[in-house]
Amino acid sequence: MKNQFDYIIVGGGVAAATVAKGLLEHKHDTSILILEAGPEIIAKDRRFWWDYITKGERPYTFTYDQKFEADSTGNIDYQTEGVRVKAYGGSTMHWGAWSLRFRPEDFNLFTNTGEGADWPINYEELETYYNDAEAFLSVCGDDSANWVPRSKPYPVPPFEWTAADGEMIKAWEQLDVVYQDGDINPGKSSKIKSGKMPVARYRKCMTTGTCKYCPIGGRFNAQYVLDDLKNDTRFINFEVRTNAPVHQVNTSSKSKIESVTYTDNLNGKEHTITGSTVILASGAYNVPKLLRASKNEFWKDGIGNDHDLVGRFVVSHSMLNVVGKAQSNPNGWFQEYDFPTLMSHSYNTKEHQKKGKIFMFKNRTTPNVDIAQLMIDGKTREEIDEIVYGEMTINIQAFLEEKGKHGNRLEARPGKDRFGLPQTTVHFSRTEKEMKNANDRLKLLEQIIEKMGLEVISSRVDKPGGHHTTGTARMGTSPENSVTDKFMKVHDTDNLYVCSNAAFPTGSAVNPTLTLTAMAFRLVNHFINK
Amino acid sequence: MNKELTCVGGPVCNEKLSAGLIFAEGQNLTHQNKEALWEIFEAIGRNWSNTIYNSNNQRSSWYEMLKAKTENAPNYTGEYVNAIYVINELKAIYGIGGAYKKLFFESGIDNSAPPTNRLAHCKIYVVNEFIRMQITAGGFKSWGTKYGGEQAKNYHGFLGGTRYNRVSKVRAYDPDATNLKADQE
Repeated sequence: MKNQFDYIIVGGGVAAATVAKGLLEHKHDTSILILEAGPEIIAKDRRFWWDYITKGERPYTFTYDQKFEADSTGNIDYQTEGVRVKAYGGSTMHWGAWSLRFRPEDFNLFTNTGEGADWPINYEELETYYNDAEAFLSVCGDDSANWVPRSKPYPVPPFEWTAADGEMIKAWEQLDVVYQDGDINPGKSSKIKSGKMPVARYRKCMTTGTCKYCPIGGRFNAQYVLDDLKNDTRFINFEVRTNAPVHQVNTSSKSKIESVTYTDNLNGKEHTITGSTVILASGAYNVPKLLRASKNEFWKDGIGNDHDLVGRFVVSHSMLNVVGKAQSNPNGWFQEYDFPTLMSHSYNTKEHQKKGKIFMFKNRTTPNVDIAQLMIDGKTREEIDEIVYGEMTINIQAFLEEKGKHGNRLEARPGKDRFGLPQTTVHFSRTEKEMKNANDRLKLLEQIIEKMGLEVISSRVDKPGGHHTTGTARMGTSPENSVTDKFMKVHDTDNLYVCSNAAFPTGSAVNPTLTLTAMAFRLVNHFINK
Repeated sequence: MNKELTCVGGPVCNEKLSAGLIFAEGQNLTHQNKEALWEIFEAIGRNWSNTIYNSNNQRSSWYEMLKAKTENAPNYTGEYVNAIYVINELKAIYGIGGAYKKLFFESGIDNSAPPTNRLAHCKIYVVNEFIRMQITAGGFKSWGTKYGGEQAKNYHGFLGGTRYNRVSKVRAYDPDATNLKADQE
């Protein structure tokens, strides 16, 4: 078995796939080893798909963190179960593929607000890589929307709004953007603008919502890319090893990373592999745990952790969720897709950054009636008709941006999970001010529901969670304020990189995967130019 | 656990079974088995009128599902053969139409409980899955006509195909439409 490579990539998700593909296309014989802790779960398998359709079972859910493997402390529960796929392909096995760019102000959060952090790069430096990422993921978006500066059109046209989006679009047209206490320029007025959700779907997409296990590969999954690389005869030195949790990064000096050590879960044997460059692409959970576990004579507290910053500044999104009810649904509105088609960035602007930006969208599954379940329950056609046209609920939701705080930290706790990775504890608290701001934003959403003529029946701030965790090995300008530099290289090392949400200094109010992919393209360019 | 049934079916339907999938590794469905199962699938469309004409335009998809469920582990052949036994007994007792009415609307089966007799196995492993498959593959097609208005197009998971690719998969937003329309009529 080969034990020496040009690049070792820890983790087998979208970041790994992007970096590996970029390096191999640049130089075909580059030797790359990807080490993935989880198993390989076949995508596009017909039996798996039929079981998903008929029983609601998805084949990868057994890899999700269980409660006994990941807990949290602090004044709010941090959801870690059910959010990360630990398998070949990573969380792109189940992602919704909402693919939104961060906005220019997201890179200057501290400068603009005095809270959180700035990125060591700005939006303009990442813009061309966003183009690459959108092409790679096949993002379907609306070029006319003009939410953020862009130099290229989207590669694929957007999904149109559904009929069920209509009432919310009309409500937004009638409402002003409200600049609340804490926002910049209170009193300023502009209309809420409707947008089409950019989602990553290939042109061959032809279903209305089995995206959580796509039968035809119509939505990006890193597994497809890695399979292609493995099967491409040009790339003779590319290898992926699954069931291979890495538990140690080894150094030969303070700055020189020499190797990584992993366990083969199938036989329990330990292997040490040397690499000229090591890239940690295993997500905002595992990157900090691995760095801190890698203690040696040069790094007493773990690699990159001389200033006790590894694992800190955990950022997530709070989900705001307001549900409205109508007494009837005479036109049978139904969100046929299993993803949202309507969104707005009107509160995701610099003016709202201090208080907390929100990214609003109509819930991906409402209004909805589970007709099959009603049939299963023995309801007649007439009874089901009454229900279809009867009471209707619509949710409006929003991601609320949160700012990294020193005390919010993710770390390992004793014991291994089922895949040989350290178990997790997330210490996470919100301040009273943050809770107030979240509740103020919630009031905005309630106004929208009321403007639609619906009765608000539920209004809540959901707990934060691991879906969009960022910031546990964040980029910065020095070891005193960050773990990694502007190229995501761990400070004071020559050849250890973090290609993960972990390196994000801020989490914006939108999903992070497109930005991670753009950062991976930028990293490839950095390697090529070195 | 499912309550023991005494009012639907006879000794076959009410024979106790363990809740797990009936073991059938290495077994296959015969052509006659498939035809008998197709009758159940067609009866679903007939009883709920949720297909445009009948279930025939879903036949190839349905066969594909049967193949996937019987040629890969865990093998559903035992469940499918059991369903044929059950429906045969129900037909003998209630006649063809009555048998499906009993099975679909009056079985008394708790769909969320582990199935512990042959009737419950038939309902949960076969009928309920056939219903989900039919709604998914068929979309809404015939739902949405009550008010003579537009209709929602497709259920989550509807899979279009080359034959239908030019047909919009969902009902798109029309700025002139209003949800109050039918109420005002």
